Amino acid sequence: MKNALILIFTIFFIFACSTTPVEKVEVQETTTVDLTEKSTEENRVDPMNEVDVGEAFVTVYFDYDEDTLKEESLESLFTISRMMKGDARYTLLVEGHADERGTREYNLALSERRAKAIEDFLVATGVSSFNIEVVGYGEESPVDVASNETAWAKNRRAEVFFIR
Amino acid sequence: MRALFLLLLFSFYAFSDLVLEITEGASKPVKIAILEKNNNSMVGQEIIEIVSNDLKRTGEFEILGINELLSVPANESEVIQRDWLLLDVDSILFLEIDSTSGSLDIDWSLFDVSYDEVEEKKIILGLPDSLRQTSHYISDGVYKYFYGIDGISSTKLMYVTKNLDTHKLIISDADGFNDQVLLKSNKSIISPAWSSDGKQIAYVSFENNRAQVFIQDLASGKRDLILSSSSSVSSPAWSPDGKNLALTSTKDGNSEIYIIDLNNKKISRLTENSAIDTEPAWSPDGKKIIFTSDRSGSPQIYEINVRTKLKRRLTTQGTYNARASYISEDEIVLVHRFSSNFNVAKMNLTTRKLEVLTTTKNDESPCIAPNGNVIIYSAKEGSLSYLAGVNISSKVSFKLPALFGELKEPAWSPFLR
Repeated sequence: MKNALILIFTIFFIFACSTTPVEKVEVQETTTVDLTEKSTEENRVDPMNEVDVGEAFVTVYFDYDEDTLKEESLESLFTISRMMKGDARYTLLVEGHADERGTREYNLALSERRAKAIEDFLVATGVSSFNIEVVGYGEESPVDVASNETAWAKNRRAEVFFIR
Repeated sequence: MRALFLLLLFSFYAFSDLVLEITEGASKPVKIAILEKNNNSMVGQEIIEIVSNDLKRTGEFEILGINELLSVPANESEVIQRDWLLLDVDSILFLEIDSTSGSLDIDWSLFDVSYDEVEEKKIILGLPDSLRQTSHYISDGVYKYFYGIDGISSTKLMYVTKNLDTHKLIISDADGFNDQVLLKSNKSIISPAWSSDGKQIAYVSFENNRAQVFIQDLASGKRDLILSSSSSVSSPAWSPDGKNLALTSTKDGNSEIYIIDLNNKKISRLTENSAIDTEPAWSPDGKKIIFTSDRSGSPQIYEINVRTKLKRRLTTQGTYNARASYISEDEIVLVHRFSSNFNVAKMNLTTRKLEVLTTTKNDESPCIAPNGNVIIYSAKEGSLSYLAGVNISSKVSFKLPALFGELKEPAWSPFLR
């Protein structure tokens, strides 16, 4: 009789398990990486990090979703071209930027193309591309954070720095 | 009413970055009550509150409070059907909680009022120190019973916050609780993406003054720089099988899409065009990639077969279509310019019908929940950016405003169980 009871219990137990689905909770562990307290040695991954580039020598502005240089920008770019050809030690950093509208990744590509448009212009006038560094910041570094046409026009830009 | 609403918000979310509010509810929500079986414990009250909030947050449930009830049955056999029919309640969720001997096991069952019997029953083997996650499993089970699709309360959200000059990459539970900082930086972080197993993430960091892609292991915090280059590398997207990472780089002089085999780090180029090609996203079967290209003069969405490299243009409506990802093999979500606004839209790939889903001015980074039914995106009003979402089937919309600073770049985790 006792054996029979155990059997009945076992069957009941198996039955209960098979009809009621069982789920086990899983928990994820995470670790924080803090770059704000990074040592200076670790920071020297990119030589650009060490250069305080100061103020932009020239800032060039672009139209919405455009990477074509405007006629008004050419004069200052010719000046840079003459300086570069006059002294081969000059090295330029060209930073491209976009306004906040549209997607971040597309804006990153667009901003780099704006910087590249300046490089292409200078190379066409005889400057060595070896002395020009190009970087895109997308919409990440606006000069004016407002959301209007005046701010957007200021943010659609490429800044030219002499780094050497 | 407003005061009550604020009070509710503060009592639920006072310690969290995210404050979720339903901006538009479903027209005919499911009405349920939640009761602890044969008991009224502190743990039980806590679990009931978490499950109630999860279900309310979907906008597709109405939860009756204990003082709205006509009778409080201790278990299924004590249910007086007439009381519940009068209140127009669909079901009663009974929870049987076993928190003895260091466990938190919950038997939950749904008692259908009109049939006058238990219709659904499940056991959850929970963990006492993760009571919230254990409760989310119940919510997801209840959601699935009523709506036929998996609930997403137990999934995670990843997002970026910016406050003054500090950028943080954070993951939290889908309800905004339990937020954990993955990366803290003085420079921008964009385009976070989950691996298909949810154990690793990829993102773009400007920490070295240009866009670079890193893969980070969630548990250990170990980071790998992917594709060391003096050009920008961005827009990481994991293949569904977890073996490859698609990304964008200008390493060959122009913005192109590449695929990296994560085992041997072998890199292959997918696009070859003098235009911008970026924002790759894999199809659910891993055979195709959609991406943004301005080869026609304006950004539009194209689809490319990863093996044959055959391409086709998907979007034809409008002058700006970007950052697309698949909802299913047959449907995509994207950013679409509609008059002067940038909105989130979805498009059927067979009919090419495009439907704009949002109404604010500058919406971006749309991302689909793993159940394919909720889209989360970032929106901007004035200088404030926040996360917002829309439920595709119920049209319920919600908002997760930042308490301070900016809240952006959402990425929904895959199912984590």
